[in-house]
Amino acid sequence: MNARSRLSTVWLTVVGASVLLFLCLPVLIVAPMSFSSAQSLEFPPPSLSLRWYENLLGNPIWIDAGKNSLMLATLSSSAAIVLGTLAAYVLVRGNFPGRHLLEANFMAPMIVPSIITAVALYIFFARIGLLGSFTGLVLGHTILAVPYVVLIMQAAIRSFDIRIEQVAATLGASQRQILTMVVLPNLAPSAAAAWIFTFVMSFDEVVVTLFISGTTTTIPKRMFSELMLQVNPTITAVATLLIAFNLVALAGLLLLTRRRGFPGGMG
Amino acid sequence: MTEETRDQKDAMTPATLALEAASGRPQAPARRQGRVRWDLVLLIAPLLILVVAIFDVPLLNTLYWSTVDDAGNPTTEHFREFAESSAYMRIIWRTLVIALEVTAITAVAGYALAYWITKLGRRLRMVMLGLVVTTFWVSILVRTYAWIVILGNAGLVNRTLMDLGLISKPVQFLYNELGILIGMVNVLLPFLVLPLYAAMVRLDERLLQVAETLGASRLRIFWQVFFPLTVPTLAASCILIFILSLGFYITPAVLGGGKVPLVANMMDLLINRFARWEIAAVVSVVLMAVTLSLYAIYQWIRERSA
Repeated sequence: MNARSRLSTVWLTVVGASVLLFLCLPVLIVAPMSFSSAQSLEFPPPSLSLRWYENLLGNPIWIDAGKNSLMLATLSSSAAIVLGTLAAYVLVRGNFPGRHLLEANFMAPMIVPSIITAVALYIFFARIGLLGSFTGLVLGHTILAVPYVVLIMQAAIRSFDIRIEQVAATLGASQRQILTMVVLPNLAPSAAAAWIFTFVMSFDEVVVTLFISGTTTTIPKRMFSELMLQVNPTITAVATLLIAFNLVALAGLLLLTRRRGFPGGMG
Repeated sequence: MTEETRDQKDAMTPATLALEAASGRPQAPARRQGRVRWDLVLLIAPLLILVVAIFDVPLLNTLYWSTVDDAGNPTTEHFREFAESSAYMRIIWRTLVIALEVTAITAVAGYALAYWITKLGRRLRMVMLGLVVTTFWVSILVRTYAWIVILGNAGLVNRTLMDLGLISKPVQFLYNELGILIGMVNVLLPFLVLPLYAAMVRLDERLLQVAETLGASRLRIFWQVFFPLTVPTLAASCILIFILSLGFYITPAVLGGGKVPLVANMMDLLINRFARWEIAAVVSVVLMAVTLSLYAIYQWIRERSA
């Protein structure tokens, strides 16, 4: 290696590492700040305390928002998993005309910017009287989760050997038996991974929620409106808890998919 | 079940999930020949009904709102009002400019990061990719909020710069265009880095070895062999980032402090403050048309390079 190429290697390392630091900085900085004793957002914190966590957990508005978020994420991701898995199975095995059109339609909520979905649901829900209702919120979040479920479950079903289903059929299993006794049990790990994925997405969703939730508060909605008013260190505690929550979910997802090794699927 | 099918079944690592999420496109469908199984089609009905009722119909309803007047007669008046208003046009223009800036910065920074990661040892590579995927998992709101902590007047960056004596008063990073750029690039980087990394690793090493054997310098190998081979993925990712930038709501609202409204924030105001649903519907239709056209180009590039 000559001097010039060594120099370019050094440059690449400096630039690459800086970009990575820039990417990770927000995640790294929030957690220490949440244990600060100071009222202002000083870094490094002058001394440590749990006051912002006490503040947070002692506030019924945040507790209520947390309950709503959990309920909303549970209902919407469960609904999306059930409907999405059945649909994914049909899309992969069904072989009927118009299949690609249906698939594109199911993927659309992922491609359409969420602000457009938010405005569309606002106007539509206002017309049919679902605006501000919890039902409307669950329906909206379910729609946002559908593309990811269909995507993940289609991949899982596609890699499930169709000959196993054919053997079951040869042995006299009905279509219903094949589905409930052969296919679905084998899809359980992927379904669990998809459920975690959509749960986290719903738990973090802001834009559609802001438009259609009315007076119902969720954690990200509450956080967003507090941010717009003033910078309050309690938010730092919320943010830290959200990071921890997302990382635990990521770990759960890794456990479910660990056989292939971590980023191995990317190579 | 054979070991192989089991491996395939569990191939959905977070990285592939993130990749697929980022690419917005399912794997190429495996065509199977055989009879149509109508018994299965019934199973798809519940989801189809839900998506039609809660997604397709609302979007069509938006289109309807943009094209009728109060009495329900067809009109182009709303589109005309939108096109003739310099206030709307200024916001549209600024959104386009910011989206372009974000795309350019993300492309350069993300390319460097992805390239650097491919040069690392196997173990370190996993760690770095793990970090990228981790940030991808943290909510946009949290990451946006963190910049207030980092870039605020008493924040980490300003304090460090002042302690070093480089500046005498805090630099205004937030509540302006700079703050929006920083926040958006930060959120969008993984959407470029992950697919680009995958493309770089997939590249046939032998091409580079041939160039080396033929005596090309490292710089020349990079610019004449390596880089051109990654251009399709780079272009596709840039289009994706541009599309995502156009619809950004949270980051401009929080880091722009309401002073630099983009299209999405304008739609929020039109709905929630001014109750001008018909103009919000017009903006939706325009944004939708732009997004779908760009998405078609994105798919075209991906299919061509696949």
